Amino acid sequence: MGATVTDRTGVPAAGPTKPKRLRRGFTARDRRDFPIFLILALPNILLIMAFIYRPLITNIYYSTLNWTLGSKYATPIGLGNYREFFTDPDSLGVLKTTAIFTVATVGGSMVLGLMLATVLNRPLRGRTLARATVFAPYVLSGVGIGLVWVFIFDPVVGVLGAVLRAMGGTSPEWFNKPGLSLVMVIIVYVWKNTGYCAVIYLAAMQAVPKDLLEAASIDGASSFRTFRSVVLPLLSPTTFFLLLTTMLSSLQAFDLIRIMTPLGNGTTTLMYDAYLQAFGGYNRAGYSAAVATILFAILLVMTVVQLSFIERKVHYA
Amino acid sequence: MTLNLPDPLAALGIKKLDRRRFLGLAGLGAGAMALAACGGPETAPPSTPAAGGAAGSGAAGSSGAAAGSGTDWAGVKPATSITFWTNHPGSSEDVEKAIIADFNANNPDKIQVKMVTAGSNYEEVAQKFQTAQSGGGLPDLVIFSDVWWFRYYMQKSILKLDDLLTAVELDTSAYRESLVKDYQYADGQWAIPYARSTPLFYYNKEHWSKAGLEDRAPKTWDEFAEWAPKLAAAGLGTQHVYQLPALADYAGWAFQNNLWGWGGGWSKEWDITCDSAESVAALQFLQDSVYKDKWSGVSSKAATDDLAAGAVSATVGSTGSLVGVQKTAKFDVGVGFLPGGPKVDKPVCPTGGAGLGIPIDIAPENQKAAALFLKFLTNAENTVKFSAATGYMPVQTDADTSALVKANPLVQTAIDQLAVTRPQDNARVFIPGADQEMAKSCATILTSQGSVQDTMTALKATLTKIYNSEVKPNL
Repeated sequence: MGATVTDRTGVPAAGPTKPKRLRRGFTARDRRDFPIFLILALPNILLIMAFIYRPLITNIYYSTLNWTLGSKYATPIGLGNYREFFTDPDSLGVLKTTAIFTVATVGGSMVLGLMLATVLNRPLRGRTLARATVFAPYVLSGVGIGLVWVFIFDPVVGVLGAVLRAMGGTSPEWFNKPGLSLVMVIIVYVWKNTGYCAVIYLAAMQAVPKDLLEAASIDGASSFRTFRSVVLPLLSPTTFFLLLTTMLSSLQAFDLIRIMTPLGNGTTTLMYDAYLQAFGGYNRAGYSAAVATILFAILLVMTVVQLSFIERKVHYA
Repeated sequence: MTLNLPDPLAALGIKKLDRRRFLGLAGLGAGAMALAACGGPETAPPSTPAAGGAAGSGAAGSSGAAAGSGTDWAGVKPATSITFWTNHPGSSEDVEKAIIADFNANNPDKIQVKMVTAGSNYEEVAQKFQTAQSGGGLPDLVIFSDVWWFRYYMQKSILKLDDLLTAVELDTSAYRESLVKDYQYADGQWAIPYARSTPLFYYNKEHWSKAGLEDRAPKTWDEFAEWAPKLAAAGLGTQHVYQLPALADYAGWAFQNNLWGWGGGWSKEWDITCDSAESVAALQFLQDSVYKDKWSGVSSKAATDDLAAGAVSATVGSTGSLVGVQKTAKFDVGVGFLPGGPKVDKPVCPTGGAGLGIPIDIAPENQKAAALFLKFLTNAENTVKFSAATGYMPVQTDADTSALVKANPLVQTAIDQLAVTRPQDNARVFIPGADQEMAKSCATILTSQGSVQDTMTALKATLTKIYNSEVKPNL
């Protein structure tokens, strides 16, 4: 006869065959393993608390202050910084630039990455070298890349300008026209990140079951039809993963913008605005913290939305 | 009690929020906020003296050096190890190292100076210095540009130097008056001139010769407007006759020359005058030179590099670029005073560059050691060494510049121009972020052909807003 199991409230458990459970589903084994869990997890939890959550919460606290960076004193102003952001006409421009930069860089990197992966997935000579070459920009320092591309784009002494002049043209004013500055930074950012998307897509393409491709071939499907109806749906988990990671990365882009357009003329995204407000001459640390918090909220909402809705459309093989 | 939460929280792994969890989270949140309040700035409610306006920077008119004033400097023994933060202006790393080595080997107090490259430009040094105010790790001596020292004064970040300079027998009257006066405010001396510069008119002598022009800089901008078509017609292969300096770094500073020449300015004292008829006319002249008369371009990075590359025939750049241009250019470089305008021909040249200051929140021993090193670094002999290596102005009046001028005769022009310099407009050097706003506005005018009047009206509104919120309460 099995023992009658009761929980801490004294209510008998549903039946003798059920495992011994404490409140909230905590089993005796769970309780036994808990010290080991603590030993293994606590150092990491403490590190995450100290270096992720504490700065995050501190930033939210600073966003409620009128504080000039470097000053020993600050004035609590509640939601004043947020009110200013949402009523300042310049903020609309910052949000617009952020949206254009994010859509262009995420879209550009993913589309070009997919195209490159498709090419690199074929049995071509020098494929390994080509893969390494395509991936190389992603692992290079953003600062170094920025400096090199600044030289390339320089209208007076730059390589691109020299080529255009040799062809009878003139170099666009990449650094002086706000619209062109944004295009320039997007080009370089896409160039840097396309390799990452290509390599991830390539790995996913190589995992596509061969029998499906053979079946499509036997059914007479063209290459394009096979790609569209067989390969692309099977890549949807990868597409979802890349969409999430590249979007988060683009929204937090800093190094290339800082190096190529230090004044942020036409390239002031939310991330860069947070930097400029604190360190770009204004020293408005409180307002900068508010901008950073708004960016965090946008990232959080977009991540949750993607996890909640877009993932449902993903087809897992 | 069980609360049903929407999907997003469920997506984050939070299935349900009962009373116990709610209280736990609330406690965690309160603890986190308490933790967040540790460190960072002290807070005070609005209108208390400590809050001090936007930045909360102290009572009006107070010396920002409360901790430094009243110190008996004679009884302070200098520290034996100090740090010096610099960005090596004008590629001065080697000469700075040499001067420091000389000081470390020979000073009687056995002070050892450690040089720290704290950034590649003044703004990066400022970022690091501002961050160190809260995060710790302050330097003992720090370089800062003309647009930064007043902010440090308002934030009570730098020491009022008067008593300390007396204690280390540093005589400020030995420095060029116009340069040392740039750092005086509220009866105090807040910094000592170091890498000081003025804008210079640079030109390509070969281009001048081919265009049949006299070997000199133009006396006025109108005269240069007459010369420009001759230079353009001389078949020199340049992209532009004249290159306006890169706006991000130079607009607020160098364009004071044009504004003053036309009788305007960014401000008169604290009255913002960038939208006056004179100021608008000056900037309209610059816009016309780009779009209407087409003899000007706008540099993307460094106008003096464009000149040195032979891409343009003339530009305006810092004296700190002089030696670099001479080394790079494959032609004879000419320099001259900045041209005057239709209303004022002199003084129309602003001073600029950087000085050295001592943080207030370091030990008096370190402050005294820093002052002794500051005295050595800017003495008559070393200021000439520094000038020879960079092109910056010798900051002491009794500096023997004869060898310097003999080695590089163009330096004499830069030194002579000091006699016709003018202190910069308050709006540029004292209003936080004003330089960036001026650069943005000039970009609108000179690269997007925006309306000069509308742009300056908007700039005035922006500068007035910053002044009222961040400067006025601290004056």
